[in-house]
Amino acid sequence: MNSKGNKIVLAFLSILCIVMIAVTTLKDDWLSPLRTTVGYILMPVESGVNRVGKALYNHIQNREKLNSALEDNKALQEQISNLVTENTRLQEDSLELARLRKLYALNQEYGQYHMTGARIIAKDSGNWFKVFRIDKGSADGIRVDMNVIADGGLVGIVTDVGANYATVRSVIDDISRVSAMAMQSGDTCIVSGDLQMYREGKLKIDDINANADIKDGDKIVTGSISSKYVPGILIGYAKDIQVDSSRQTKSGSLIPVVDFGTIQEVLVITDLKSEIRESGSASAESSSPAAETSSSAPAQESTAPGDANKP
Amino acid sequence: MRRTAVNFAFMILAFAVQNSIFPCIPFLSAAPNLLLILVFSYGFIYGQRSGMLYGFAAGLLMDLFYSGPFGFFTFAFLWMGYLNGSLSRYYYENYITLPLMLCTINELAYNLYIYFFRFFIRGKTDFIFYFKTILLPEIIITLLFTLFLYRFFLWYNRKLEAFDSKHTLKK
Repeated sequence: MNSKGNKIVLAFLSILCIVMIAVTTLKDDWLSPLRTTVGYILMPVESGVNRVGKALYNHIQNREKLNSALEDNKALQEQISNLVTENTRLQEDSLELARLRKLYALNQEYGQYHMTGARIIAKDSGNWFKVFRIDKGSADGIRVDMNVIADGGLVGIVTDVGANYATVRSVIDDISRVSAMAMQSGDTCIVSGDLQMYREGKLKIDDINANADIKDGDKIVTGSISSKYVPGILIGYAKDIQVDSSRQTKSGSLIPVVDFGTIQEVLVITDLKSEIRESGSASAESSSPAAETSSSAPAQESTAPGDANKP
Repeated sequence: MRRTAVNFAFMILAFAVQNSIFPCIPFLSAAPNLLLILVFSYGFIYGQRSGMLYGFAAGLLMDLFYSGPFGFFTFAFLWMGYLNGSLSRYYYENYITLPLMLCTINELAYNLYIYFFRFFIRGKTDFIFYFKTILLPEIIITLLFTLFLYRFFLWYNRKLEAFDSKHTLKK
């Protein structure tokens, strides 16, 4: 009798799960009140535990660092004097660069975006997914699809927001796909996460036009035709670019600028790509060479897990 | 009643430790799946009904953390709690071999579930790679933790049981 009752409960809950999976695959919005409520309870626990763990870890690290720091100090003093000379030269260069930028109307510095800092408080402990949680949410103005950067490079995108937390999927996650372009030539490509390649610290880069001018070591930035990523954010450097067997496209790997193993703080860009578009930078985008070379790229870029099933 | 409350508190703590401390340790190439240990141990010790309850709760925590389709992890943990609960008639306190075997099987099944529905479906077919780099390290470290945690559960479970029965007697 009791085991029969258990089976009924099991069947009921299983069906509930399957229905939920089906519903949320199609539409994820209506769960956010629930997520937010649970966030209120879980967040203090998580950030508390996180703080303890980090404090312990940092304490040990600081010890080690102190010893090497003393040695480094000497070497660095020498470097400083060299750098001062170099700096004056570079200052001149940067003035020139500013003038040239104006000329080309390529104002793609990160400085143009509004940003807010956040702390990473939880990460996926298993190795299947590369997602993490930050300690700021809709109450701080974070919204879904905002871009996240650190160390001057792209980290990921916000997929989910509660009142006081947000979930970020990093670009190294297996289902992440970013429409990107080479900074110099403006040729478009797709940068995607791949667990297998990330073991060697790399991301995948493909869908490059066969006559595109992308060489090893080229800077790869987020593309201006991407639907979710704001343009001009550095992702990494191209490597091992080769022509595919089909002769139509080229592909290779990308070394990211961000060290995903050690990031603790990130910056969230609070400008949404969809809003930047609306506010009239459309003219600038269509004049960039990237928009002409490939029009199929935005369709292939995906951020929803469901879309990634059919690349 | 008190036991259930303590177990739930443990579950939330385990979840926080799993996601907030283990990823901070750089030399750890794999982290133990604490929630999995909790669910299968509770199922095995207490039986089907409790197994389902704890499995459901653990799954909810996971689903709320990830942003994929809601219910994916709940489904897995629900069944894990139920199936391990079915085996609770073989439960015998000082016998550690069976729990360790169960842990291995559960880890395998759980990771295969993720692999199949989240990776294989998208054409990532190099199973050997995923097995070597993800499954195997996680199974080993989870086994190690089970060795200690399972005994710890048994120990405090006995304490709580003693406390609970004393409490009801007084009434």
